[in-house]
Amino acid sequence: MRGELEMPVYFTEHEIVVPGQLLSDNGKRSGEGTYAHGGKIYAARIGFASIRDNKVVVTPFKAAYKPAPGDWVIGIVSDVKPNGFEIDLGRHLKGTIRIPDREEVISTGLNVGDVVYVRIKESGLSGVVIDKRSRIRRIESGILIQIHPAKIPRLIGRRGSMINLIKRLTGCEIIVGKNGFLVINGPSPEAEFAAVKAVKMIEEEAHTSGLTERVEKLLRELVGGAEAPSS
Amino acid sequence: MSRPERLIDENGRRVDGRRPDELRPIRMEVGVLDKSDGSAYVEFGGTKVIAAVFGPREAHPRHLALPDRAILNCRYHMTSFSVEERKPLGMTRREIELSKVIREALETVAFLEEFPRAAIDVYVEVVQADGGTRTAGLTAASLALADAGIPMADLIAAVAVGKVDGQLVLDLCDLEDKYGEADMPVAMAPRFNSIVMLQLNGRMTVEEFKRGLALAKKGIDEIYRLQREALKKKFSEISPEEV
Repeated sequence: MRGELEMPVYFTEHEIVVPGQLLSDNGKRSGEGTYAHGGKIYAARIGFASIRDNKVVVTPFKAAYKPAPGDWVIGIVSDVKPNGFEIDLGRHLKGTIRIPDREEVISTGLNVGDVVYVRIKESGLSGVVIDKRSRIRRIESGILIQIHPAKIPRLIGRRGSMINLIKRLTGCEIIVGKNGFLVINGPSPEAEFAAVKAVKMIEEEAHTSGLTERVEKLLRELVGGAEAPSS
Repeated sequence: MSRPERLIDENGRRVDGRRPDELRPIRMEVGVLDKSDGSAYVEFGGTKVIAAVFGPREAHPRHLALPDRAILNCRYHMTSFSVEERKPLGMTRREIELSKVIREALETVAFLEEFPRAAIDVYVEVVQADGGTRTAGLTAASLALADAGIPMADLIAAVAVGKVDGQLVLDLCDLEDKYGEADMPVAMAPRFNSIVMLQLNGRMTVEEFKRGLALAKKGIDEIYRLQREALKKKFSEISPEEV
């Protein structure tokens, strides 16, 4: 809750801060996008500074995707090895699924080029490890697109409001990977196209207000306002 | 152009009319390119540079990637039309050296451990050279890194001080660099008073060096202020997201 912390801060809520800017005198509560030095907290990125869970955080305007345990991501199988798979998660990120048994590797039926929806177990010095205990879902069809990972929260919207709007108006199934990969699967090419256009609009205008209304207007223009049965 | 009779006249004015402790007109703009992750355009008088950053992305060649952090690549290059004399095509020894010193400066502030196995590629192109190209380039590269969202401990601000006609001057132009007695580029991460790049061509006494450093710091403080302003201006139209 804002305003209830004793620690002194040198910024106002939602103020734009730049790298190196002093944020607070209390080095113990440094959160994402900040770093602590000499008992003080400084911004590490350009973004909005705020206080969350008693920590000073900087929400960056642009940030590359950083794999975190529990994240669901979409990737493309890039290599099949005797002891597992390598999955391309975008940019320099490669996830590995370790399956020590060669027969089991073959029995998954996964091949290079397959698109999969997987969960990250951990990310560290040994690379990005994919959780193989949760289902590795191969995505059979649809359009695979990529947007900037930082825009994913805006695409989903508060409590899923934005993404559900798109799904509802186009009738498309949309699988969202936190790494910025999406798969759109719809009843017709027009519906899929409309969903892609909406997603691209959100990516471009994520920082503006009134976006939800503009997205709804665009979708109604493209698919004629016909609503699919709720998904 | 051959050496002017005097680099500083009897009124203390330099060849371009400036006082010894005066910076040239500076212009900074962040986010000038669409294809790179971050970019910046910086002018110090007649010196114009553009910097672009890509990253984190896959390291090329792959075997140079490090398991625990990103590698930072930097290419400082002068375009063929940036100088009057014929500039050899490709990378000269000087450009290779400046690429290295700029890279080493940026490595001190960037949090490379956030992106294991990745590369961050920094490109600095000098489109017009009038002295102080490496300091302008480093100033621009630092803005471009921030624009790209690469986490950093601080921005880097840089300027060259020199000695002309026996006097210490701030922000050398090309004539002063060519015909003066000393040229000292200085770069700092001002937050913690850290010097991240320091070179010297020519001769200075220890006392001159100390005064030169203090003069550089004055210029750097102003450049740092302009950098922060340029960054905030770029992102000022963004409203907090509604998530």
